Amino acid sequence: MTRSDSNNADHPKSDGPRQLMRFLARLDLDVLIQRLTDDGYQVVGPTVDQGAIVYGDITTSADLPIGWTDLQEAGRYRLQRRDDEACFGYVVGPHSWKKYLFPPVTVVASADRTEVGWQMSTPDESPPRYAFLGVRACELAAMKIQDTVFTGGPFVDPIYQARRNAAFVIAVNCTQAAPTCFCTSMNTGPRCSSGFDLALTEVVDGFLVEVGSNAGSELLQRLPVTEATSEQLARGETARQQAADQITKRMDTDGIQSLLMDNLRHPQWQDLATRCLSCTNCTMVCPTCFCSSVSEVSDLTGDHIDRERSWDSCFNIDFSYMTGGPTRNSIASRYRQWLTHKLSTWHDQFGTSGCVGCGRCITWCPVGIDLTQEVAAIRSSPGLKAGELKRDTSPNEEAAS
Amino acid sequence: MTMKQPNLLKILSETQFADGLPNKHLQSICRAARLLRVPAGQRLFQEGAVEDEIFVISTGCVRLTMNVPGRGEVPFLTAGPGDLIGWSCVIGEGRMTATAVSTEDSNLIALSGSRLRELCYGDADLGFELMKRIAQVLSQRLLSTRLQLLDLFGDAEASS
Amino acid sequence: MNLAAASATANPHNPWLAHTVRIDRIVKETPGVATYELLFEDAAVRDAFAFRPGQFNMLYLPGLGEIAISISGDPNQTGCVPHTIREAGNVTRTLAELSVGSTIGLRGPFGAWWPVDECVGRDVVLVAGGIGLAPLRPVIYHLLSDRERYGRVTLVIGAREPAALLYPSEYDDWIRAGLDVQVTVDRSVGTWHGNIGMVTALLHRLPLPDPPNTLLMTCGPEVMMWYTVQGAMERGLKAESLYVSLERNMNCAIGLCGHCQFGPQFLCKDGPVFRYDKVASIFKVDDL
Repeated sequence: MTRSDSNNADHPKSDGPRQLMRFLARLDLDVLIQRLTDDGYQVVGPTVDQGAIVYGDITTSADLPIGWTDLQEAGRYRLQRRDDEACFGYVVGPHSWKKYLFPPVTVVASADRTEVGWQMSTPDESPPRYAFLGVRACELAAMKIQDTVFTGGPFVDPIYQARRNAAFVIAVNCTQAAPTCFCTSMNTGPRCSSGFDLALTEVVDGFLVEVGSNAGSELLQRLPVTEATSEQLARGETARQQAADQITKRMDTDGIQSLLMDNLRHPQWQDLATRCLSCTNCTMVCPTCFCSSVSEVSDLTGDHIDRERSWDSCFNIDFSYMTGGPTRNSIASRYRQWLTHKLSTWHDQFGTSGCVGCGRCITWCPVGIDLTQEVAAIRSSPGLKAGELKRDTSPNEEAAS
Repeated sequence: MTMKQPNLLKILSETQFADGLPNKHLQSICRAARLLRVPAGQRLFQEGAVEDEIFVISTGCVRLTMNVPGRGEVPFLTAGPGDLIGWSCVIGEGRMTATAVSTEDSNLIALSGSRLRELCYGDADLGFELMKRIAQVLSQRLLSTRLQLLDLFGDAEASS
Repeated sequence: MNLAAASATANPHNPWLAHTVRIDRIVKETPGVATYELLFEDAAVRDAFAFRPGQFNMLYLPGLGEIAISISGDPNQTGCVPHTIREAGNVTRTLAELSVGSTIGLRGPFGAWWPVDECVGRDVVLVAGGIGLAPLRPVIYHLLSDRERYGRVTLVIGAREPAALLYPSEYDDWIRAGLDVQVTVDRSVGTWHGNIGMVTALLHRLPLPDPPNTLLMTCGPEVMMWYTVQGAMERGLKAESLYVSLERNMNCAIGLCGHCQFGPQFLCKDGPVFRYDKVASIFKVDDL
């Protein structure tokens, strides 16, 4: 049971304007940040860096991408100036919160050579206490999914668990959507409904604030908030609705589990292999991907070894290596592994889809592969075996007709 | 040393080879068969020679070898109870593709290849049933040979 | 029937922590294969350690890495934990250079185990190929420790050649204890008078008085296991009574790194032992 779940038990979900919501003026966003910093949190959130909106340290609200938006499509990401000063007027970038909860590189254990042989130990430093500022609905869903992966099985990862338990989550309701977003198809958004301590909706001059946990409620009492007026509530509702209305991409998930597992020999995988570079971008930006590898890092003496866990990817050719060679020796088999895991076998393993519909993999694929279209291609010709022609394009039939 | 017919019928009917064969076909085949008891080390047929008998093994073990100049007799397979060896007599012209030597005291049912061929031409149904069983034996043998050829236990395999 | 026994020694609080073990004895088995008997340094851990047949440990050579090795000893014995290991890569080759008294790390036991409890009152066939006999040996010890509870128990062993047969000095003990042991090699050498051919050929002619009630466990190269399972079903054994032990790249052994996936299964926690019908639909999919 995750921390946010247990906190949510004491607070009803927000269900729209009828709920008693608070309003935090734009100028007072810095009070929120300061309170969190004073409470010992390291506030992290969206910032502009390297031509993208990425997660970094937030000292004041000026660090946020004020007045920026993102233009996203398959294989393309650009920033563009807005004509307003919105703090959260964009969707999601190449980073996800997994960079903090499941760090890209971390020591999981160590070994020291002593007179009585090798002695192993595990790190026991206190974990960093992060306050995540600006978590989107799809990202809340992704965190819930990774909670199941890292803490819901027979073995719990103590590194993830410690960071997750210490994290304070301030969600932000999306007020717009990118052409790559399809959270509605995956039932993960765009509205934030649970899994946060506080949730903000940006309106003119400030933010509607919703409480999602005891910790959120406690912090709220120390913020200069007012009761939201009906006009502010209406604006908030309009803004949230705009996000939902702007979603155009859809993925039909009906029967998707068996659709993919019944089509493991479909020619679409070979077709994908002519486009996919096996570059691993999709797995790096995906907020639920969790593959990793542990390697040995020795100091100069060779008497102290750190076991370092780093992000890995099923697209890496060595990922499936066994003596004799990798078992997934082709791009087709590796792409198939990724997609069938994400959309199908994830259900068998963790009880939900592994995809939250954030669209990052579509944007950050250098050749613009869109998994929603790949699924649609298989759905339109199920049961086809590699090497077979589709029935209605058989040249013999055309000649005969 | 030949045994009496009824004993032969019973022994043949109990082999895996004859499994499901109708009684009338069993009796026809028995007319072309004799029971053989061989000691260990008995050569049943010679590679390259034209022979006329195929053998169904009832009990015991027979080793098959091929001669490779410089390496001598190279054993590649052993056949046990229920197995059929010497199929070249029925399928081809009777030129054997291996040498067969028993490795222990064995009871065999020896069948005349030429007489079996006569029976098959005379009775298409019997012919089909016999050929079907020989085909099954050969397909099993082929699978086994392929698996041996793949050298699955060779160095490329990972440790458990 | 499953699954992973997170024993006290797997340290549920931190599953990344390895215990120190000392090499107590090394038994050279066949060329390139040796059995390492490991002893936990911590007496409490040594006494608490328990495993089921078919489970594996992650053996750790600091600076080189970890390898997944099936436990090949008697699950009813405490003290030393034997692992039969074949030299195949960096870690195993370095291990082969260690001597008695050296220390390494151990995490475990992990994985789903062979269905020994389901064998009670039934005929059992064990088909082992090459090093695959090592993860099955704990089953043999377990069944023989209480022989009357089981029906006919047959062990079919295949190896590349006579010198590669594993644990040959134990075969007579096993036969005396009530096991039917049948041995075959791919290629014979010199004075070998036994069977030559694949285990599938032996399985094909095995006397099976009660196929629908017979349970089969097999471990060896995947191709061998596939044809063993097919052959078993042709003889009338049911798919739900057949068990295989699979192998994939193993990294964390605790279901968190993703390496060992085979379809929906994590080999480290859903396997490595699988009931055949659970993996039948994906077994023969190329490069899965």
